[in-house]
Amino acid sequence: MEQPKVGVFLSDCGKQLSDILDFDALTNFVKNVPNVALIARGSEFWRGNGLKAIVDAIKGGKINRVVVAESLPKLSEVNIAQAVSDAGLNSYLVEVIDLKDHCAWPHRSAPAEATEKAKAMLLSAIERAKLLEPIEKLEFPTLKSALIIGGGIAGMQTAVDLADLGFEVNLIEKAPFLGGLAARAGRFFPTDDCAICIQSPSSDVKTITHTSRKCVYRSGFSEIPNLSILTNAEVVSVEGVPGNYKVTIEKKPRYVDADKCVVCGKCAEVCPVETPDEYNANLNNRKAIYLNVPTVHPQIYAIDEDACKFQECAKCVAVCPTNAIDLGQQTEQVTLNVGSIVVATGFKEFDSSNIKEYHYDEYPDVITNLELARMIDGFGPTGGKIIRPSDGKPAKKIVFVQCAGSRDRRYNPYCSSICCMISLKNASLVKEANPDAEISICYIDIRTTGREHEYYYERARDMGIKFVKGRPTEIYNDEEKGKLIVDVEDALLKRFLDLEADLVVLAAAMVPAEGTAELAEILGLDLEADGFFKEYNAKLRPTETKKRGIYLCGGATFPKDAPTASLHAHSAAMKAAKFLTSGKIVKDQRTAIINEDYCGDCEFCPVMCPYGAITLEPTTEDHFVAKVNEILCEGCGVCVGTCPLNAIELRHSRPNQMSAQMNALLSVNGTSKPLVLAFCCQECGHTAVDSSGMAKMEYPANVRIIKVPCAGIVRVNQILEAYKAGAQAVMIVGCKTDGCHYEVGSAKAEKKMDMAKILLKEYGIEPERLEMFKMVFIEGAQFAEAAKMMTERAAKLGTLKLMGDS
Amino acid sequence: MPHHNTKENANMSFSEEVTHRHGGETLTACYQCGTCASSCPVARLDARFNPREIIKLSLLGEKQEILTGDAIWLCTSCFNCQERCPQDVEIADVIYALRNIALEAGNSPNIYADFASALIADGRIVAISKFVEKKREEYGLPPLKAVHVEALNTILSATGFTKPEKKEASQ
Amino acid sequence: MTSYAIFLGCTIPARQPNYELSARKTLEKLGVELVDLDGFTCCCPPPIQSINLESSQAIAAYNICLAEEAGLDIVALCNGCFESLAMVNAALKKDKELKTHVNEVLAKVGKEYQGTIEVKHFLQVLMEDIGLEKIKANVVKPLNKLNVAPFYGCHSLRPSKLLQLDDPERPQILENLLEALGATPLEYRNKLKCCGGLLKGISDDTALALAREKLMNTTKAGADCISTLCPFCFVALDIGQIQVKSKYQEVYDIPIMHYSELIALALGVDPEELAIKSHKVKADKVLEKIA
Repeated sequence: MEQPKVGVFLSDCGKQLSDILDFDALTNFVKNVPNVALIARGSEFWRGNGLKAIVDAIKGGKINRVVVAESLPKLSEVNIAQAVSDAGLNSYLVEVIDLKDHCAWPHRSAPAEATEKAKAMLLSAIERAKLLEPIEKLEFPTLKSALIIGGGIAGMQTAVDLADLGFEVNLIEKAPFLGGLAARAGRFFPTDDCAICIQSPSSDVKTITHTSRKCVYRSGFSEIPNLSILTNAEVVSVEGVPGNYKVTIEKKPRYVDADKCVVCGKCAEVCPVETPDEYNANLNNRKAIYLNVPTVHPQIYAIDEDACKFQECAKCVAVCPTNAIDLGQQTEQVTLNVGSIVVATGFKEFDSSNIKEYHYDEYPDVITNLELARMIDGFGPTGGKIIRPSDGKPAKKIVFVQCAGSRDRRYNPYCSSICCMISLKNASLVKEANPDAEISICYIDIRTTGREHEYYYERARDMGIKFVKGRPTEIYNDEEKGKLIVDVEDALLKRFLDLEADLVVLAAAMVPAEGTAELAEILGLDLEADGFFKEYNAKLRPTETKKRGIYLCGGATFPKDAPTASLHAHSAAMKAAKFLTSGKIVKDQRTAIINEDYCGDCEFCPVMCPYGAITLEPTTEDHFVAKVNEILCEGCGVCVGTCPLNAIELRHSRPNQMSAQMNALLSVNGTSKPLVLAFCCQECGHTAVDSSGMAKMEYPANVRIIKVPCAGIVRVNQILEAYKAGAQAVMIVGCKTDGCHYEVGSAKAEKKMDMAKILLKEYGIEPERLEMFKMVFIEGAQFAEAAKMMTERAAKLGTLKLMGDS
Repeated sequence: MPHHNTKENANMSFSEEVTHRHGGETLTACYQCGTCASSCPVARLDARFNPREIIKLSLLGEKQEILTGDAIWLCTSCFNCQERCPQDVEIADVIYALRNIALEAGNSPNIYADFASALIADGRIVAISKFVEKKREEYGLPPLKAVHVEALNTILSATGFTKPEKKEASQ
Repeated sequence: MTSYAIFLGCTIPARQPNYELSARKTLEKLGVELVDLDGFTCCCPPPIQSINLESSQAIAAYNICLAEEAGLDIVALCNGCFESLAMVNAALKKDKELKTHVNEVLAKVGKEYQGTIEVKHFLQVLMEDIGLEKIKANVVKPLNKLNVAPFYGCHSLRPSKLLQLDDPERPQILENLLEALGATPLEYRNKLKCCGGLLKGISDDTALALAREKLMNTTKAGADCISTLCPFCFVALDIGQIQVKSKYQEVYDIPIMHYSELIALALGVDPEELAIKSHKVKADKVLEKIA
């Protein structure tokens, strides 16, 4: 490779720095560094003539490495990199440092010391620049298709959005009919309209007018040509990489040919089987061949395998006028190749029989809100009548119990967030239809936080629904009275109420849908402690996951009402579309590389990698070596920090590059204080240093900063190396555990530092000379404090004596 | 979780004083749902006692009312409330902590002084009389073994056991 | 042969020979050896915990140490003793910090808690060491005519996190053990609520009101007797009936029978040997139905 010729561009930030730093001394210092081919001074180098000077030097062949000292490098380096690239030099051969926020301002009371630190920083940048290598951009083609898992309100809307945008969309649903939990809810707040109502597609479907929303059967949803719907289907495995997923789906037989069924219902008429109707909370029986409700989609009968007697009976086959029934259908494996996957698997009601004191499993008249919703539904098991399931008599006295299994550390510590509104809605609907009904709602807190939601609470009070502030301890059956008794204290009155009830409605907590954990395993996604899918970032990327090309929406991440689930669905569709639309993934090669000669059969890196980018591949001699998938690798370096054999390097953060930087930073002291080296992750750690400078907080100039991609990359031997190079103390500054930009890096680093401290003792180094800090951008003050603290600590400990030192 | 009582200092709020006590740690988790109150067999019969109210008063720092009132002594330690509390507040244990504090401040029903005296003297809270010993023999029950009273007293003083004083005029 | 250190506590040896006799004879008949260890003190039940929780735990731990030294598990008859000892035993096994602290105190009396033994309730020994089948096989006078209101008291079951005798909401162990004797266990309102015993001397009226409610509910359910596990529950409901009579002019006349008494009778022990005459509410009705 061509000898490095480094150009050093020193900005005084419009004379801001020259009062503090001695620029002549810096220039003289840099001049004598080998391989420095050019030094330029100016006011700014990230735009205008300054930037042109860099471009000209490259074009003129004077330099092939660029070091710029410029303020706000995280912003200015974008421009510089682009200009360098346009000038024909690889944009990764540039190193930009910040003499303002990392040096002049925080050390302004000690200008001489600041100048010495600036020399160290410049030297470090030059030494690193010499060792930099070009990084290439890679392109990976992606398929313009998506799989949506879950045919509830969120999944259907995501599917319509993506199909409208022209992608090939496959929507799969585990049940034989679409609609999910929402469809069973009957009606929705805050619009009080039907649950089974979705946005209309905008594609050219005849007879469909383009208004905002439609009943599902007339929405035209199923007729969108590039949308295919599979019911009775579940994902069994996913292989491949973002943009090219191979999904295997198991499709259970419906036993009814979709192309032939005319929904005449003759089959159900002759079917002799009666089986509890799960869709209607087992409040009625249905036949083994059935539609959930007449309004369901798809309009094709389905056979319940567990209930049907098949050839023993086959009466439906005989009666079907179109020969649509095929009892010989088998389970099929379907393979789909898709670019992107959207998870829309939703949530379900918590099993209230866990709360033994409420006797949900023992008393038929203790039901849940979803079961009540089935009764309210005119198509439901009671034709809209509210009854006592125990004897079928009308339920006059109804008590709602809020937070059944929510906000309860024994079951689900979180607030399920929608149950207050569901109870208010259901109570109001019941009261509206049955003005004689006596309804009470026992609550801990009523939470109506959405637009129009408080109105429901107002209306309920206005209708005469009573509110009791208290969580009942028990529901018991008073056989003499023939009523249930809800044992509750009204905390506002400090009075004990034994509320009589024909029907007790539990506002059951909402928990992840069946199979959530299994699906997470298949997709390689994480779950939160609550069991729901973990989003990439709750604040800014709520529908993304740590895996490119896989998105989440609706209740799969947390219980949601319909408006929020819709919003989420559209967001996921947008994110998936953004990913799919160009037909390719472009990404640079700042990825991990394995030295196969060193790699030896351990399993640390594949387990540690937060992105599943490393696999173990067998080699000829029955051994395994790690392989890095370049699409999946996000370049954090956690694997590097984990590998016990030093067999992994990260391009652009190679050990020799880091060593050169470290040695340079510690080669010049210029202060009377002990040198402290701070490894700062490029995300929160390094920006906290920025913000302390921006806010002009002061800390001593003996503290030197080395930027690393993630705290997780730092290896114990590098810490020892720092001590050898002259550091008297070492700081590791990473993101907060929950806020780590690489999921686990900060936590891994913290664990490693605990172990490193034990090791340091073995080497005769006081463990206090090492400390891990976790902070965010705005915590510049914490960084300055930590820097001062470590300086004082090192001073107190005295000069570090390494083994072998005399 | 403290394993021995941290001595309260002047700057501590009352709720902090309680949470620093053995048994009082979970106080602040309470969100006043009242499950404890409706679980409580005493609260229904005796208006002076309501566990939810005791927790609330402790959280609000109504120290005098708690320490000098009757309420905290009316808990039967049945643990029904603790069993059903959705926030895992160990209500009965919090009440032990409150009683421990009240007792150190010199407030307790007289019966506790009797319990303590018996415990210190005999290592038992029910005395064994000569009559009982004779009766046991008649029934064919084995003679009772000696009680390690000395060890018990060493433990009492090592753990800061304060003997409650009887009040003359008390009910 | 299965051996246990028997922890009698304070009340039973002083006041309830009927409990002690029946428990000893039952376990003897069923092949469990009981060892009376030197040194056991008061278990430090709720009244002492109310004075100083920390002292109480350390003393409970001291007693466990005595059994550890003898290499024996403890069987407790009284709910109060069971709770105090089993709770501390479970807490110390779970919580290393607490163990360190308690051992600092115990060091002053030359003891160290190890965590090597179990503290069992009398019912657990019957259920786990002997088993329903063996009990059934040994019944010579089945209690087929008896409708029994099982009453657990509080401290056999709660706090369930530490005691783990049975499901605190729907316990079955006592019902199963009653059925093994041929008796019919009954359900009744507020079965799991307190007898009020611990309020005696603090608020006698409330204590009695609680006992009365228990008597009302069990009577309403048609019980021939109430089966108890705890000397305090026994007193509250037995002597309590005399007090209820004078205060409320209500006569329940429902015998209170420790489970140990019922099983001893079913196993064929002569009632004369069991000090059943010490009951205030005479047990004749029950004895008649067994004969």
